[in-house]
Amino acid sequence: MRRHPVALMVIVGLVASAIGIALALVIDWFPTDAAKQAEPIDTLYDVLMIVSVPVFVLVVIVTLFAVWQFRMRPGQEKMDGPPIHGNTRLEIVWTAVPAILLVSLCSYAYTVLTDIEEKEANTLVVNVVGQQFAWRYSYPQEGGRAIETTQLVLPKDRPILFKVRALDVIHDFWVPAFRVKIDAVPGIETEVRATPTKIGRFEVVCAELCGLGHAVMRSTARVVTPAAYDSWIAEQVRGGAAGGGGAAGGDDAAGGDDAAGGDASGGDAAALGRETFVQNCGSCHTLADAGTSGAAGPDLTTALRGQSEEQIREDIVDPDARIAEGFQAGVMPGNFSETLSAEQIDGLVTYLVSVSR
Amino acid sequence: MEAASATSSLHHAGEAEHHHGPPEAHRSSRVDPQMLGMLLFIISEIMVFGAFFTAYFFIRVVDGNPWPAEGTELPKAIAGVNTAILLSSSITLHWALEAIKRGNRSAFKAGMATTALLGATFLFIQINEYVHIGFAPYDSAQASVFYGLTGLHGAHVALGLLILIIVTTRAFRGHFSPQEHRGVEIPGIYWHFVDVMWVIVYSTVYLL
Amino acid sequence: MTAKLRAPGWYRAGLFVLLGIAFSYALVGVVRTLMHYPDAWADGDAITTVALIATPLFFLVGLGCFDYWFYYASGRPTRAEDHSSHGASSWKDYFRVNTDHKVIGIQYICTSFFFMFLGGLIAMLMRAELAKPGMQFVDSSTFNGLFSVHAALLIFLFVIPVFAGIANYVLPLMIGAPDMAFPRLNALSFWMLPAAGVLLTASFFAPGGAFASGWTAYAPLSTDMPLGQVFFTVGVQFAGASSIATALNFLVTIITMRAPGMSFFRMPLLVWANFSTSLLVVIATPFIAASQFFVLLDRALGFQYFDAFVGSGKNGSVLMYQHVFWFYSHPAVYIMMLPGFGIVSEILSVKARKPIFGYRMMAFSLLAIVALGFTVWAHHMFVSGMQSWIRVPMMITTAIIAVPTGIKIFSWLATLWKGVLHLDTPMLFALGFLTTFTLGGISGVMLSMIPFDIYVSDTYFIVAHIHYVLFGGSLFTIFAGIYYWFPKMTGRMYDETLGKVHFWMTFVFFNVTFGPMHLLGLDGMPRRVADYAEQYATLNLFVTIASFALGLSMLVFLYNMVASWRGGPRAAANPWRSLTLEWQVSSPPPIFNFDAVPTVVGGPYEYGVPGAVHGIFQSPTEAKPTHAGSVATSPTRE
Ligand code: HEA
Ligand code: HEA
Ligand code: HEC
Ligand code: CUA
Ligand SMILES: [Cu+2]
Repeated sequence: MRRHPVALMVIVGLVASAIGIALALVIDWFPTDAAKQAEPIDTLYDVLMIVSVPVFVLVVIVTLFAVWQFRMRPGQEKMDGPPIHGNTRLEIVWTAVPAILLVSLCSYAYTVLTDIEEKEANTLVVNVVGQQFAWRYSYPQEGGRAIETTQLVLPKDRPILFKVRALDVIHDFWVPAFRVKIDAVPGIETEVRATPTKIGRFEVVCAELCGLGHAVMRSTARVVTPAAYDSWIAEQVRGGAAGGGGAAGGDDAAGGDDAAGGDASGGDAAALGRETFVQNCGSCHTLADAGTSGAAGPDLTTALRGQSEEQIREDIVDPDARIAEGFQAGVMPGNFSETLSAEQIDGLVTYLVSVSR
Repeated sequence: MEAASATSSLHHAGEAEHHHGPPEAHRSSRVDPQMLGMLLFIISEIMVFGAFFTAYFFIRVVDGNPWPAEGTELPKAIAGVNTAILLSSSITLHWALEAIKRGNRSAFKAGMATTALLGATFLFIQINEYVHIGFAPYDSAQASVFYGLTGLHGAHVALGLLILIIVTTRAFRGHFSPQEHRGVEIPGIYWHFVDVMWVIVYSTVYLL
Repeated sequence: MTAKLRAPGWYRAGLFVLLGIAFSYALVGVVRTLMHYPDAWADGDAITTVALIATPLFFLVGLGCFDYWFYYASGRPTRAEDHSSHGASSWKDYFRVNTDHKVIGIQYICTSFFFMFLGGLIAMLMRAELAKPGMQFVDSSTFNGLFSVHAALLIFLFVIPVFAGIANYVLPLMIGAPDMAFPRLNALSFWMLPAAGVLLTASFFAPGGAFASGWTAYAPLSTDMPLGQVFFTVGVQFAGASSIATALNFLVTIITMRAPGMSFFRMPLLVWANFSTSLLVVIATPFIAASQFFVLLDRALGFQYFDAFVGSGKNGSVLMYQHVFWFYSHPAVYIMMLPGFGIVSEILSVKARKPIFGYRMMAFSLLAIVALGFTVWAHHMFVSGMQSWIRVPMMITTAIIAVPTGIKIFSWLATLWKGVLHLDTPMLFALGFLTTFTLGGISGVMLSMIPFDIYVSDTYFIVAHIHYVLFGGSLFTIFAGIYYWFPKMTGRMYDETLGKVHFWMTFVFFNVTFGPMHLLGLDGMPRRVADYAEQYATLNLFVTIASFALGLSMLVFLYNMVASWRGGPRAAANPWRSLTLEWQVSSPPPIFNFDAVPTVVGGPYEYGVPGAVHGIFQSPTEAKPTHAGSVATSPTRE
């Protein structure tokens, strides 16, 4: 008489597990994957689900079954169950099976780990620096001199080694599309590897609580064709002479074609200012003309109306001198005077003045 | 809200006894509760020191920083003398305990007094050392670790000293007897622990 | 009046608080003058810092926690067996230093639930802010403060102490002891809690807002936070001291005060659970104390433990904080779960009318978890940049912890099998716990797989895990326990219907609140952010609405408890027909628990065994197994 319901339980359990696993595998829970590392990690997730769902279903189904079959019925108020104290064989089984399961999961996870972290030939080194609340990057060049910039441009299909540092507190360099993240820790240099496989722009997120601006500490990783990358580097080296980082990505505002930096030919201050703005400020400031939509700081499309050149300059080099009302001091980085070249600052001011008229 | 108000138990129905004492608790272990409590407390204390040693371990060993920090050095000799002082205080304390066990009050008082005195001396020298050591906790992480560990231990000495003084005053007020000397024994254990801890601190921070 | 001010109590406490503040002010002033600091008497930060440490101590002295020891210390006459501060005859007795473990238990439970509601309300604020992308109600620093206080309150002032409270009430009864081993220490440990709670809550009024570096308070963020951080740093010290003292008390009580015949393997599993938990507390808690000492020293006295900045040349170590912190805080998560395991074991066995399945394995698995619990802390640091080789061993140990936990889950299921399940509120919560905690645990095992953790660490997947184990795990068992022992504690019966309503609302809305957070996390939404990208908007709104409903379900619980306590029907001594000792005395128990120490003659869970008895109330001499002292034996269904 009891056989039948147990069989039913088993069947229901199998069906439920099947459905659960199907859902886990069919639906794509992750954001777009844009790196070699993504695929093995997503697969690991699938495997974990294939193991976990049955375990969970097992526990739930047995509970429900017990409630259904063994609940107290009228007239049983004073009754007790059979005095079963244990069953050694059962206990061995449910000690051994999970143990084996988990050890094999661990070994698999270990292979995935070595896979996503393996050193590869012709790896490109990119230095990442986190600071409250912005990211900066530098590309070491032959002859020691490194390109200092605030934009992250990466060649497709080239293994990248990010060397991550922090200036003030702990941050965490995370590109969800690459799946990998690593803390930026004051005092030490941490490393993480990724090999971009898709052309496009992907968000860089700070994943470790770092204060007021933690939520707005964003940046963009732009993956481009190797050719575009080389020309971008060339740009940078030349532009570097003419003024540090900004001289690129004029196409950003136009939003799109990934042949980086083509149209941006340093010269004109306003143009330089615009590029600099898109690269450094857009993550926090909306500015119609520059096509940026950041929300951490005031909307400069309107906020700058009627502000003098000096005021704007002060706002940039010493943000906390005057706090725009409704906003907090200490969010906007205070060290742009160091991280940006004089030309860029002048460019920014000229540009902002021009658009705020 | 009469949660704990005394009603009668099932088995002695009726007789609602309010102010009788509790039944003598059954002793399910030979170890004395106070003693066990002190031992457990000492385990916690060891872990506190353990954490401070973790800091020491990370800053000196893991990060491989020079020890002590460049341009500073630690007064091994004075601290060595201090170690001797503290250890001898352990001996005098033991002596005092034996005395009261034998019922020799005067020896007991003398022992307690000297112990307290030695402890005080240790503290005094320690503080004096801080004054003349020539670097401050904010000079470097190594300095912080040094002040952290020795300071933590100093605090324990101070606490132990307080307890010793209490025991001593009670000794002079004529408390304790060959039968009843737990009040000496258990603070004693704590004091011995503080001494042993110092030996470890001294050898890791000063000598190694 | 002066009499009132001299006698222990609230008046004297108030006076001493003022004294404490004055003392701190004077101390700081004098020291700074001696060291020739500028404006020595006007350094708000220093004064507050010292006051935060000193005032609670003064308060405790004023309230009278130390009076006995002061008498003892100064050699004045004391009566160790003095029971003047024992028991409670009116509600007032709950507001003084009381040495009765039953009173203290109630004090613990009520206090911690107060802070639970506070922390929950804060969560409601958070959810309101998170309902839409962008900033609506609070600015980002306030938001950071909200989730930090939320977590700190719910962990340090709710889950940990409420378990201590339940055990405080039940444990001595269960092992046949008249009280805890150190009643005065017990009282002191309780009264440290309100102090800690007030500190954590008061941080909202500190200049610069509440501490906003998360409940993890990672350095160096925490060392250069505004003053509010000190409220956390110090508050945690008091909470920690309190739980160490209680744990010590439990251990001594369990080891030295068991009734005759109560061998270790005749102890109810709740006692085993609290034994293991107390071991964890005594060994691990000092580490969080130390970690907060470091932060305090760095902040207040300019120590350099964590100053690792390039160029500063201070050689501090940032990762050291995380190692020290997690060496406590991982065991802490089991401190927050093991007592729950104990509660569930009691309830499932009684409500299924069957012996617990595999009693010994249940006990050993607890110890296994304790041991393993110390070997896994770095699974919180997979992406912290620590030496990468540490990760793999930590992954393995972490995953292996699922084995002893699994043994417990499966044994509970086997306990249900063929039983006679009484599906009342405590049982419902226990069954709900089985499912929700398994889910949370499994997500934990997924997190232990390094590559997966590298992706989801610091996302809402973690937040989901946290709540499935802490709410679906700990909180469910707490509710189960509160309902189960409510009759014993109050002498009243709770309202069964309301109880069921509470369970179903909680169970459903809990899952719809925290379930979707897994998806948010997988989709890449970082945690600890007040503002998020459009793509997460729909799910977050859904979660927020669900969480409000969850909040309302708490009100049902609140009403049920208050109403039943004041006007519920009187409860019988043993409404659940349980065998364990606490049910063999009246509800509520007599002031000294037992009029004669009971004798234990059998296991605690012998349901269905004809004529089985756990404890009998004759003196040990004529002790032989009889039906006396047990009303629980009756024909089995088979
Ligand atoms: C009650 C509290 C509690 C409990 C019990 C647990 C239990 C577990 N936790 Fe959890 N954890 C937390 C509270 C808790 N955790 C908190 C608060 C955090 C976040 C801290 C912060 O950053 O703020 C956290 C974070 C956290 C992390 C870090 C994530 C990150 O920050 O990147 C990890 C990683 O390994 C982890 C793992 C585990 C594991 C493996 C268990 C295991 O013990 C679970 C074991 C149980 C089961 C597995 C279910 C039952 C078992 C079976 C049915 C047998 C068969 C099962 C299998 C074969 C899979 N937890
Ligand atoms: C036991 C522990 C516990 C409990 C019970 C809860 C309960 C809840 N938690 Fe909490 N939570 C944590 C422990 C806990 N949390 C921890 C450790 C963190 C990590 C913090 C960090 O990152 O540092 C966290 C973080 C955390 C976050 C992530 C914050 C972030 O990273 O940005 C969120 C967001 O939704 C959240 C929500 C909730 C909600 C909605 C509840 C609800 O269950 C609350 C339900 C209870 C109530 C609502 C109170 C009672 C009801 C009333 C008083 C009636 C009035 C209420 C209304 C209906 C308006 N919690
Ligand atoms: C991490 C976020 C962030 C970044 C990056 C940032 N800002 Fe800001 N900015 C803010 C915030 C917040 C405010 C408002 C508080 C204040 O006035 O300082 C602000 C204010 C300003 C103001 C003053 C607006 C007013 O109403 O007066 C100007 C101008 C400005 N920023 C320009 C810039 C420029 C130019 C850059 C890039 C070089 C930049 N910001 C980068 C966050 C940021
Ligand atoms: Cu930087 Cu968060
Ligand atoms: Cu953990």
